[in-house]
Amino acid sequence: MGLFSFDGGKKESQPPNTRSQRKLCWESRDAFFQCLDKADILDAMDPKNSKSIKSHCKVENEKFEENCAHSWIKYFKEKRVIDFKREETIKRIEQEAKQRERNQ
Amino acid sequence: MLKLSRSANLRLVQLPAARLSGNGAKLLTQRGFFTVTRLWQSNGKKPLSRVPVGGTPIKDNGKVREGSIEFSTGKAIALFLAVGGALSYFFNREKRRLETQKEAEANRGYGKPSLGGPFHLEDMYGNEFTEKNLLGKFSIIYFGFSNCPDICPDELDKLGVWLNTLSSKYGITLQPLFITCDPARDSPAVLKEYLSDFHPSILGLTGTFDEVKNACKKYRVYFSTPPNVKPGQDYLVDHSIFFYLMDPEGQFVDALGRNYDEKTGVDKIVEHVKSYVPAEQRAKQKEAWYSFLFK
Repeated sequence: MGLFSFDGGKKESQPPNTRSQRKLCWESRDAFFQCLDKADILDAMDPKNSKSIKSHCKVENEKFEENCAHSWIKYFKEKRVIDFKREETIKRIEQEAKQRERNQ
Repeated sequence: MLKLSRSANLRLVQLPAARLSGNGAKLLTQRGFFTVTRLWQSNGKKPLSRVPVGGTPIKDNGKVREGSIEFSTGKAIALFLAVGGALSYFFNREKRRLETQKEAEANRGYGKPSLGGPFHLEDMYGNEFTEKNLLGKFSIIYFGFSNCPDICPDELDKLGVWLNTLSSKYGITLQPLFITCDPARDSPAVLKEYLSDFHPSILGLTGTFDEVKNACKKYRVYFSTPPNVKPGQDYLVDHSIFFYLMDPEGQFVDALGRNYDEKTGVDKIVEHVKSYVPAEQRAKQKEAWYSFLFK
């Protein structure tokens, strides 16, 4: 990452503001989350999972941390959990609706 | 006629009869019976004769008269379909137009605007920007911040598609505005750099914290930026995500949320722009004899 090495210290004060920076961050996020999926980890913020993340997705996690601002990392990790729960809820409601139809 | 008056009479008869008892009831029943009989006699018809209500007796002894114009069934059907189709198309279109107009009218509110109002900001070129800059053209306003992780960039890309489709397909140009909810970090220079990634016509607006807060309040945009942020602090801003469509009088028309995609959003905007009626004309419509159509 020679390109970004010179503004490495600036990154915290200036989160990615251009399209290419955002793209880089999103890509490393997707790679990290894919790895989490494989390792069957949902909440990356949970300290219980930190060991498992270190052993399974060390490289992806480092890239993610490198390419995204801290606030974004926190946001994406929280969003992953919320999105998962929302999908679960939608699935559950749909199943309940189907069951009610069958019962009628 | 016959059927109706008979049943009415019967009801008249039965009601008091049920209430009274003994001789009185008998008498009333008899009187009622006479009334009914007299009515039959005055009509000169049997009570159960089958004359259709309001009908006239058949004069031609069942013969069908031949018309002077011969009409082929095929042509008749074609004409019927054409006229019916054209009429239903026309009425549906008019109905839709009036509905959209009514919706806009309702959002405009009476007297005090329900959304929008005076604000004072600065655009990314350093010029003053107030609610007066909304006059004379349709504007679409989005509130966001340049460090928004994923939703704002997606929404701004969508806005770019809308703007391109609107101008190329419908010849409609909007004034797109991006008002930051994060004035501490989004200086005019930052906004300029940020918005250069999106549609070139999007104008970024910023101001002091209080100015931005006032603008957000007027548009009922919720946002949570801490007022005293240390320089270099890394944080996110929570904010509501709507596009606000404003008419050339600077009045609020509609809010478009994330449920509108690249196509449906364009359709909605086109509908509003096409059904827009300037204030003078609206006043005239209200006074005209056909004003009930617009109520």
